[in-house]
Amino acid sequence: MAEHPPSWAVFALPVLLAAVALVTAGADALLAAGARAGPARSPREAAARAAAPARGVLRELVRQPRRTRAADVALVRVGAALLPVAAMLAGVVLPLGFRSVSDLPEGVVWYNAMEALAWAAVWLAGWGPNSALSLIGGYRFLAQGLAYEVPHMLAITTAALGAESLRVGGVVDAQSGLWFAVWMPAAFGIHLLSALAMAFWGPFDRPAGRDVAGGAAAELSGVDRILLLGGRWLLLVVAAAMSVPLFLGGGHGPLLPGWAWTVVKTAAVLAFLLWARRRVPALRMERWTEAAWVVLTPLAVVQALVVAVVVLHR
Amino acid sequence: MDLRGRIVRAALGRPRVLAAVSAGATERRLAVEAELARRGWPCAAAPAEADLLVVAADPGPGTAGAGTADWVARLWEAMPAPRARVPLADAGEAAAVLDHGLAELRRRGGARHGGGHRGGHAPAPPAGSPDSPQDPDGPHAGHDSGLVDGLPLAGRADDRDGLRLDRLHLPLGPALPDWPAGLVLRVALQGDVVQRAAVEADPPGPGRLPFWNEPWLRAAAGERVARGEAARRLCAAHLDSLGRFFAVTGWPDLAARARYARDRALGGAGAAELSALVRPLTRRARGSRTLRWLTAGVGVLPAGRARSLGVAGDAHGRMLGWLDAVARAASACDDGAPLAADPAVGPRGPVHGPVPASRALLDALPGLLEGAEFACARIVVASLDPDLDELARAPLPGAAHG
Amino acid sequence: MEFVVFWVPAVLAVGCGALVFRFDSMARATFSLLASLLCTGGLVVLLGLDYLGVVVVLMMTLEMSVMAVFMVMYMMNPAGLTPMTMTHNTRAAAVVCGLLFALLAAGILSAPWPDRRGRPPDDPTLDLGMSLMGPQMLTMMTLAMALFATIVATVVLATRRGRYDRLGDGLRARRADDPVPGGVGR
Repeated sequence: MAEHPPSWAVFALPVLLAAVALVTAGADALLAAGARAGPARSPREAAARAAAPARGVLRELVRQPRRTRAADVALVRVGAALLPVAAMLAGVVLPLGFRSVSDLPEGVVWYNAMEALAWAAVWLAGWGPNSALSLIGGYRFLAQGLAYEVPHMLAITTAALGAESLRVGGVVDAQSGLWFAVWMPAAFGIHLLSALAMAFWGPFDRPAGRDVAGGAAAELSGVDRILLLGGRWLLLVVAAAMSVPLFLGGGHGPLLPGWAWTVVKTAAVLAFLLWARRRVPALRMERWTEAAWVVLTPLAVVQALVVAVVVLHR
Repeated sequence: MDLRGRIVRAALGRPRVLAAVSAGATERRLAVEAELARRGWPCAAAPAEADLLVVAADPGPGTAGAGTADWVARLWEAMPAPRARVPLADAGEAAAVLDHGLAELRRRGGARHGGGHRGGHAPAPPAGSPDSPQDPDGPHAGHDSGLVDGLPLAGRADDRDGLRLDRLHLPLGPALPDWPAGLVLRVALQGDVVQRAAVEADPPGPGRLPFWNEPWLRAAAGERVARGEAARRLCAAHLDSLGRFFAVTGWPDLAARARYARDRALGGAGAAELSALVRPLTRRARGSRTLRWLTAGVGVLPAGRARSLGVAGDAHGRMLGWLDAVARAASACDDGAPLAADPAVGPRGPVHGPVPASRALLDALPGLLEGAEFACARIVVASLDPDLDELARAPLPGAAHG
Repeated sequence: MEFVVFWVPAVLAVGCGALVFRFDSMARATFSLLASLLCTGGLVVLLGLDYLGVVVVLMMTLEMSVMAVFMVMYMMNPAGLTPMTMTHNTRAAAVVCGLLFALLAAGILSAPWPDRRGRPPDDPTLDLGMSLMGPQMLTMMTLAMALFATIVATVVLATRRGRYDRLGDGLRARRADDPVPGGVGR
């Protein structure tokens, strides 16, 4: 089913991902402002609230990039720039409908590898500025990584196992009937959790938490700040969008064309995540790690086992 | 107007504001926060993301005065251009001061800061840079000097698990987001584990009544104060503490709602409106199993100390106590009957005790913080939320009662 | 084109590897090593072994980041590390490296390399999986158990608190007694 995409898709992908990230961030800003100052009194006010992330990008562009004393500027720059690059590279295997920029034969592993670059990126951005709060943010992310990565790998492996293919297109094809989310609910849930964790956003936002004055982003201003915080939104969008081909049937669905189904499902996942983040406080790793290793990892192994048995007897 | 000017105008239309608040400036802080929320201007968490610095800090008595100027200057130094700084001397002027700050910021943004100046900006001190003399153990053996670019190196010490790891001495505060104004904790950090903590409280200047205790102090001085007014102040005080607590535990939605309710309470909303705002807040905070799982067992105070402190239990229990008090106070804030002068119990405890209630809370802090991870330490501080305004031992009108 | 695709990562891999010994900061050295390993992963992909190449990228990123944490534990001063040399005992190391290089080079040059028989498989990933889970299953299982046992043994040797400290002499405590309680209590 996979068709070759036109060559301009390579340039369209970053633009599209950035636009979706901006819209998502705008919706989040609208909800946040509503909680702080009551519901918007006019549509104009609501629009101004939703435009906050866009205004923030503009603001950082006119601001001076800042340097802290005895900072390792090169590492900060590499860390901040690596995050959006990793998100974009992971997005290469994302199918819109049944087409992706490149349907790599090992697409699922590729997504995993690119998303793991965030480990290096956030740690570098946290270490570089020579500031204790920012460093705490940096290694909070690694602690988080150790907690989420193993269940996450098992969850996406389960999807690949169910489809008997490491190709994202193959995983979508295998769901023309029953969606994987239906018969691998644990893997789906774990994937959503790890999507939040890898983007260090929502209940997993401690690496850039307000209690450490912004954590890994605490000392960044100007373009570096846009790259790191924008990269985090991109990563969230890519990871949320990835749950559509892996677990929610990709472009399959009645009536509408494939691309429309992808858009609808991705929007639904993102809306769910935006809603869920407002309902829960942030998870601290000293409590969560144990839950992830003692509860989630065995759960993911059992889920993989069940799927493996089903696949063997198909 | 050229394109650049227009972009700058749009970009700086809603600047990020960092408020530098010293002890004794609670009323001004609340006025600034309410005004920012009304305008939809964001609050900055660190100087790196701030455009506008609002200084609500009194030059305190003696050495502390120099100290205040010092940390405000360091904040200012750490902000990237374009930036503006405005003093706020009175809570009533918050709106005018913010307008003035915006105009100033636009003026500076319009004057190109770019070009040659861009690279020449002096490197800013990082937030919480180690500024105190370092470990007696001295820096690492094998390194050639104890200083890098004027900053001291970490020394080493045994950690909680018996490993010999690097230790960093840092001041926490006074300019951290969601942190009690005027509080400085000198901590020894290993990784993100607090090894030792010492409290350094900057007392406010004399002459101002502690904002949260004001109704009780005025009643004690013989003024006629309505019970409703006291209930309103109590409700707002606890909502303020809850706002900090939720912000620190990473629940921005609930923090925002608590602060909205607080602003409404201080803005004169009726009991019905307040109760309607407070009820969903209480229900969600109480019903959240995740919050209980995360904050139960953090910062446990032994029962024996409960009497002297007025608080007990763990962080989660203290939050539940605030929620109860807020719900009670919200329904009582239209009460017109006069407030009895005795017993005068404010949000943090008796307002005339031999020692201010917040002093006892501060004294309890170091013991609770030792061995806590950074995030837990923040939760412990937020769950006690000492009010440093109370430390002013100026001749209070009702002191004779005590 | 192929020329560029091979030589760019190849030169970068060697260059970043050499830089590890030139940098005077642990963070830079670690991540320079990571850059070198990522380029190597790219070269493995170029050999047609896509899966192995991507897995190299994945595992090395995670490993190097965790290595950075250990580094932070023992040398905390963020970024402003006093310049410190990454080379120790240089003379002996140079001798060992020289000998090893000579040995490997001699091996490469003198070994009777076989000619290629057959063609590369259509799906090398499938073949790799079949080989690992088929004829090499026993090797892989033994290796995995040995690695896992090493990890467990190291932790047991390193920790001062065992399960009896945490759960009491009869292991009957409902929640473990930890300095910082975990989320489950086991």
